Amino acid sequence: MSERPTSGISRRGLLGATAGGAALAGAIGGGRLALGTGAGLGALALGSTAAQAAGEGFEVAPGQLDTHYGFWSSGQTGEMRILGIPSMRELMRVPVFNRCSATGWGETNESLRIHQRTMTEKTKKQLAANGKKIHDNGDLHHVHMSFTDGKYDGKYLFMNDKANTRVARVRADVMKCDAILEIPNAKAIHGMRPQKFPGTKYIFCNGEDEAPLVNDGSTMQDVSTYVNIFTAVDAEAMLPAWQVMVSGNLDNCDADYEGKWAFSTSYNSEMGMTLTDMTAAEADHVVVFNIAAIEAAVAAGEGEEMNGVRVLDGRKDAKSQFTRYIPIPNNPHGCNMAPDKVHLCIGGKLSPTVTVLDVTRFDALFNDNADPMTMIVAQPELGLGPLHTAFDGRGNAYTSLFLDSQVVKWNIADAVKAYAGEQIDPIKDKVDVQYQPGHLKTVMGETLDAENQWLVCLCKFSKDRFLNVGPLKPENDQLIDISGDKMVVVHDGPNFAEPHDAIAVAASKVNPLSVWKRDDKMWAETRKQAEADGVNLDDWQDMVIRDKDDPKKVRVYISSQAPSFALETFTVKEGDEVTVIVTNLDDIDDLTHGFTMGNHGVAMEIGPQATSSITFVAANAGVYWYYCQWFCHALHMEMRGRMFVEPTGA
Amino acid sequence: MPMRVLALLMLLATPLLAEELHVAPGTGTLADAIAGAGPGDVLILSGGAYLGPVTLDRTLTLQGVGTAVIDGQGKGTVITITGDGVTLTGLEVIGSGNDNQAIDSGIKVVKGADGTRIIGNRLTGNMHGVDVHGGLDTLVRDNVIEGRQNPHMNERGNGIYIWNSPGTVVEGNSVRWGRDGIFSNASKKGTYRNNLFRDLRFAVHYMYTHDSEISGNISIGNHLGFAIMFSDRVVVKDNLSLGDRDHGLMLNFANKADVAGNLVRGGAKKCLFIYNAHKNLIANNRFEGCGIGIHFTAGSERNMLTGNAFIGNQEQVKYVGTRFMEWSFEGRGNYWSDHPAFDLNADGIADGVYRPNDLMDHILWSQPSAALLTGSPAVQLVRWSQSSFPAILPGGVTDSHPLMQPTTIPVPADIAAFETEVAGRWSKGQYDDIDTDDLGSH
Repeated sequence: MSERPTSGISRRGLLGATAGGAALAGAIGGGRLALGTGAGLGALALGSTAAQAAGEGFEVAPGQLDTHYGFWSSGQTGEMRILGIPSMRELMRVPVFNRCSATGWGETNESLRIHQRTMTEKTKKQLAANGKKIHDNGDLHHVHMSFTDGKYDGKYLFMNDKANTRVARVRADVMKCDAILEIPNAKAIHGMRPQKFPGTKYIFCNGEDEAPLVNDGSTMQDVSTYVNIFTAVDAEAMLPAWQVMVSGNLDNCDADYEGKWAFSTSYNSEMGMTLTDMTAAEADHVVVFNIAAIEAAVAAGEGEEMNGVRVLDGRKDAKSQFTRYIPIPNNPHGCNMAPDKVHLCIGGKLSPTVTVLDVTRFDALFNDNADPMTMIVAQPELGLGPLHTAFDGRGNAYTSLFLDSQVVKWNIADAVKAYAGEQIDPIKDKVDVQYQPGHLKTVMGETLDAENQWLVCLCKFSKDRFLNVGPLKPENDQLIDISGDKMVVVHDGPNFAEPHDAIAVAASKVNPLSVWKRDDKMWAETRKQAEADGVNLDDWQDMVIRDKDDPKKVRVYISSQAPSFALETFTVKEGDEVTVIVTNLDDIDDLTHGFTMGNHGVAMEIGPQATSSITFVAANAGVYWYYCQWFCHALHMEMRGRMFVEPTGA
Repeated sequence: MPMRVLALLMLLATPLLAEELHVAPGTGTLADAIAGAGPGDVLILSGGAYLGPVTLDRTLTLQGVGTAVIDGQGKGTVITITGDGVTLTGLEVIGSGNDNQAIDSGIKVVKGADGTRIIGNRLTGNMHGVDVHGGLDTLVRDNVIEGRQNPHMNERGNGIYIWNSPGTVVEGNSVRWGRDGIFSNASKKGTYRNNLFRDLRFAVHYMYTHDSEISGNISIGNHLGFAIMFSDRVVVKDNLSLGDRDHGLMLNFANKADVAGNLVRGGAKKCLFIYNAHKNLIANNRFEGCGIGIHFTAGSERNMLTGNAFIGNQEQVKYVGTRFMEWSFEGRGNYWSDHPAFDLNADGIADGVYRPNDLMDHILWSQPSAALLTGSPAVQLVRWSQSSFPAILPGGVTDSHPLMQPTTIPVPADIAAFETEVAGRWSKGQYDDIDTDDLGSH
C-alpha cells in the first residue's frame, strides 16, 4: 500500500490477511525473543510495573501465618476453598456438592447421608434412572458465614448450589459439610445470604429460574403459570422455614442489620424466556421482603402447604404486606448492604449507576405505601457494568465495573450529597483489574467489623496474565491494597473454576479443632450400627460381622493407628455387600489416615479421632490389597492389608 | 427547517385511494379523526395543540402543518404506534409521562408495528424521545429531540431507544439532553448515521447489536461518545467525538468491526479503549489530545491498526498485556506525534520503529516543551539506552512502519463552535451528573 487509503479501506484484503498479520506479529516478537538482540524488547507494560512497585505488605514469609481466613466459592467445581489473606495461599478445599477422590466425599456413608437427608422423591427417581445415588456436581456461587449481632460468629458457613437447587452448611469447627438441603418448589438457588441480625435464624435463598409451582409438565408451555420462589431456610435445622412467590426472577440477595428485611435483585421483571425479552424493560426491580409480616402469616397458616413448606403469595398482583418492588435501571445484579446499617447498594449492570437505597425508610413502603422512588438516596454514575459493591470501615464503597474492567472507590456519604444536589464528586479512585471483575470483597466488609486493608477482586478472565496452559485458562483473583488513598493491585491469584464470591474473616473469629471429638454427630448413624453390632467405636476394633437379617451384608470394623490397620486381613464372599468402618485412633495433629481398596474405586479420608465408613459390593473373587493413601508415618507404605474374596462356589 | 420539511412533504407519496383529512386542534379531535380514518389516509394537522395521548393502530400518515403540537399531558406515551406503515412528519411532540419503567416516550413503536417513518418532527421534554420497541424497519430521520435536564440522570430517558428492532435506520437527527443519544440493546441490522449528539451521558450506547452501522455521527461534550459493546461485525466510520469525558470510542467485546475515519479529540480520559475486542480493523482514525490515546488490554487479539494518527495524547498508548503486538499492516503503520522520526528515503514511512511507553513518553507529556527536543542527542540517548537495556517484562507494542504525516479529518465550523463551548467541561470535576448550570449557559 503506497498510496494513502481512504477511510473506505478494503476490509476484504485485510480480512484475508488478518490471521496472517497476527501470525506475522507473532513471528516478529518470537523472532526477536529468539535472537535475544534486545532491540525488540523495549516496550514496557505499564500496568504490571505499577503492581510490582507496590508489592509490599502482602507477602507472608515461610512459617508466618495469615491474618485472615478467606472462604472462597468455586462455582462449577462445587467445593468451598479456604485461602489465607493476604498471602492468597490456598489452605484447604472442602468438598460439598462435588465428588472428592481424596476424601471420599460423595462415597462414604457419612457423606451420602448428608447428601440424601432431604433429597426429594423426584430427585431420587432422576438419579436412580441414571444409575446414581447422589448428584456429583454442583454450582457453588456464594459462601457466607453465620452472624450474631451483625458480626461473624465463626460457627457455620453456608453456600448455594445453583445447578441442583440446594444449599449446604459447613461446620467451621471441623471445616466439613454437615448438611445439604434440597429446596423444594424453587428452581436454581442463586443469591443466598444469612440473616445478619439479631443472628442467623434464616438463610435467604433466591430461586433464579422460572417454572410452574407444580412442575409436572401439565402447564409447562404456559409461561403465565411460571413463578419464582424466595426461600427462608431455618439455619439450625437446615430445613425450609417458609417460601414466598414473587413477580420476576431473583438474582442476588442480602439482609439488613435490624433483622427486618431481606432484599433481592431481579433482572427479569419481564418474565421473558429469551435474552431479547429479558432485556425489554427499561428498569427491573429489587424485591423487599418484610420478615415480620411473613412470619405472622406463616404462624396464622396463610398461603398453602407445598411439599412440606408454607408458600405465601408475594407477587405484585397479590398486593400483600410480604413484599414491595422498587424499580431499578437496568437488569440490576449486585445486592450489598453497607455496614453503616442504612445503605443498600444495587449494581446497575446495564446501567452505569449504582442505586443506593435507604433501608431505614422501608417501614414507610409497607405502612404508608410510600413511593418506592423515595427510597433512593443516591445513584452515582460510576462506570460501565457495575456489578457488586464492597465496603470498608471508613464509609467507602468499592464497586466492580465489569465492562470498564475496573474497581471504583466511592464515598457513600458524598454520593448521597451529590444526589441531593451538592457539587461533590463521590468517586475517589479507580484501578484497572485484569480482567473483567465479578464479585469483590473487602475483609469483613459484609459485617459491622468492616476493615480497611484488603480488597479481593475475582476476575472472570485471565487471558494473557499467566503462562499459557492451553485453551482453558485460570481465573484471576486479585488482591488490592485499599489502605491508602489509591488502590493498588498487589497480587495476581490464579484459581481453578470458578470462584464467584468470597469472604474474608479475621483469624481470631475462626477456631477450628485440630482433632475430632469422638462424640461428633458426623458419624452418629455409624455409631448406632456399631452399638447394635456390639462394637465399641472408641476402642481397638478388628471385627468382621455378618448381618443377622441379611447375610449378604458384612461390616468390617478396623481401627487404625500409624502405621497399621487393626486388621491386616479380612475375608468376605463374592457378591457380599461390604461396609468398612475405619476409626482413626491417633490423637495427633495432622495425622490423617486413609483407606483405599485396590481396584474397587473405594477410597476415603479418616481424620485424627474420626470414624468413616464406606460400602461396596465385592463382585470378584480374589485377593485385594487395601492401604492408607494419606501419608501418616515413616512406615506409611507398609500400612496395608489384604481382603480375601472367596469365590461363591467355594 | 420549514424548507426541508416542505421538501419532504412533497416527496412523501400519497397512496392511491387514500384520503386527505384535515384535523383541527383541540381535545379529542385527533383521536376522533384517527378512529374515523381508513387505512392509508393522510391526516393533516393544522397549527395548534392536539391533546393526547393517541394510538395509531392502522396505516396512517400524520402531517403537521405550521406548528401542530401533540401534547401527551403527562400521561404515558404521547403517540403509540401499533399498526404497520405509519408515518409521522412535521409534528411537535411534548408532554410524555414520567414513568421510566414503562418507557414513557414521545413516540413509541411497539412490537408488530413495522415500517414506521418518523421524519422531521420535534420532540421536546419527553421522558424518552422515540422508543422503537420491537417494530421492524423503522425510519427515524431528521428529527430534533431535546430531552430532560433533571439533575438525576436516571430520571431522564434516552433520545432514541431501540430494543429488538432489526432494520432500524436513525439518521440526521439532532439529540440533546436526556440520558443516552441512542440506546440500542438486543437489536441488530441497524443503521445509525449522521446524527448529532450533545450534552448527554452516552452519545451511542450499544449493547448486543450485531451487523449494524454507526457512521457520520457527531458526539460533543458527552460522558462517553460511542460505546460499542458485545456486538459483532459493526461498521464504525467517519464519526466525530469531541470533548467527550470517559471514552471517545470504546470497543468492549466488539468483534470483527471496521473502525475507520473517526476523529476523537480532546477526550478527558481515553480517546480509544479496546477491551477484550478481537479481529477488528482500526484504520485511518485520528486520536488527539486525550488523557490516553489508546488503551489496549484484556487479551484483545488479531486487531489490525494501520493509518491511524495519535497526536499529543498525555499517554499515547496504554498497553496492558504480556503479548507482542505489531501495529502496522503491509509496511504501513500509524502516525505518532511523539516519534522522533527521520525519513531519509522520503517514502512517507519513518526509518525507525516506534515503541510506545518508553521513558520519553512520560517526559514528553509531563514537560510538553521537551517535544522540541525529540530529535536531540539527549533524547536519542535515553531511548537508545532503554532499547538496549529493555525491561524484563514480556510483551509490548511495536509499530515497525510509523507514518511521517498524520491523517487529517476536517471538522465543520459549526461543529467546531460547539466543541469550543464544551471545552474544559470535565476539568471542573466529575460529579454525579452533568452540571446543569453549565449546560444552561449555552
